[in-house]
Amino acid sequence: MGKVIVITSGKGGVGKTTSTANLGTALAMIERTVVIIDADVGLRNLDVVMGLESRVVYTSMDVIEKRCDLDKALVKDRRVEDLMLLAASQRNRKDDIKPEQMQEICEKLKQEYDFVLIDSPAGIEQGFHNAAAGADEAIIVTTPDVSAIRDADRIIGLLQHQGINSINLVLNRLSPTLVKNGNMMGKNEVLDILNIDLLGVVPEDTGVIASTNRGVPLVHSEGSPGAEAYMRIARRMTGQRIPIPEMQEENFFANLLNWFSRNK
Amino acid sequence: MDFKRLFTRKSKSSSIATQRLQLILTQDRFEVSEDSMKKLQFELTEVLAKYFEFTMHSVKMSLKREGSSYVLMADFPYSKSDKLR
Ligand SMILES: Nc1ncnc2c1ncn2[C@@H]1O[C@H](COP(=O)(O)OP(=O)(O)O)[C@@H](O)[C@H]1O
Ligand SMILES: [Mg+2]
Repeated sequence: MGKVIVITSGKGGVGKTTSTANLGTALAMIERTVVIIDADVGLRNLDVVMGLESRVVYTSMDVIEKRCDLDKALVKDRRVEDLMLLAASQRNRKDDIKPEQMQEICEKLKQEYDFVLIDSPAGIEQGFHNAAAGADEAIIVTTPDVSAIRDADRIIGLLQHQGINSINLVLNRLSPTLVKNGNMMGKNEVLDILNIDLLGVVPEDTGVIASTNRGVPLVHSEGSPGAEAYMRIARRMTGQRIPIPEMQEENFFANLLNWFSRNK
Repeated sequence: MDFKRLFTRKSKSSSIATQRLQLILTQDRFEVSEDSMKKLQFELTEVLAKYFEFTMHSVKMSLKREGSSYVLMADFPYSKSDKLR
């Protein structure tokens, strides 16, 4: 029996869709069977970030309204083994779906797959409740700024109210240089405030934008800091104990100094 | 020329963010207005002032998440000169 994990945040634009695409792909790369679900009905974009938009025929709405079987609605990602996408309907609205219907889809999928990841819409309304309805666990994505963290805190409260107690944090778009010169909250400050478990830190990485342009999740291109961060997070999700490294500065001279001090 | 300003560094914007968040979240989590918070602080201080001498302004209250519940924390700093009445 697999796990259903909702990836959510409250605030929009903090990296939920990017994280769903990359963690889904990363988990498939380490040989887990995975379905990623776009729960952002009406504003779907997980298919685009994944580069699978041209192959979407059916959506979760077609499954709910019994126009097709669940299995048939899943789009297979041919770049890795065992990664499927369930797209959202672009023509419908968030309240066209009921929480029980999402729950039913999740229940069925977790019988067959190791991980079911749900890309939640922003906000705390119906769309969020639908996304979280079938979830066993949650990943909160936040960036290190006041409004994103405030919204994350609100979402944590709502998830706990719903009875979801395994809630882990992904801190996205951290810039080591900004943290160091005091212009961005660091990992410890954010953790101290939210007081939930940290699953990982993803650095600000320009590769994310290029990978979105191409429709190829970052984790396919080995070696970039963002890809490595997502691979480590995926491994932690499978229960491996991998330490969270202190972030390297992206600054050339800082890296050089670091290199010298490591190699002397 | 304001030498003091030249030599005292501005507080880091990240620590300002942390402080603002702590205040905002305490109010969000409490679901009370800033006014009610102030009133609560004031009344608590009044009760404690029956036993201790306090400097009112230094009282700090916050709500910290512990698992799925919260812990109310109130700091009433006092110095040795604040004697037990
Ligand atoms: N680690 C990162 N580094 C750089 N850009 C990022 C990073 N994570 C996300 N982004 C960018 O931020 C924007 C919003 O990301 P997205 O995943 O769509 O957020 P959400 O789904 O939460 O609205 C996108 O343009 C994406 O490319
Ligand atoms: Mg999104």
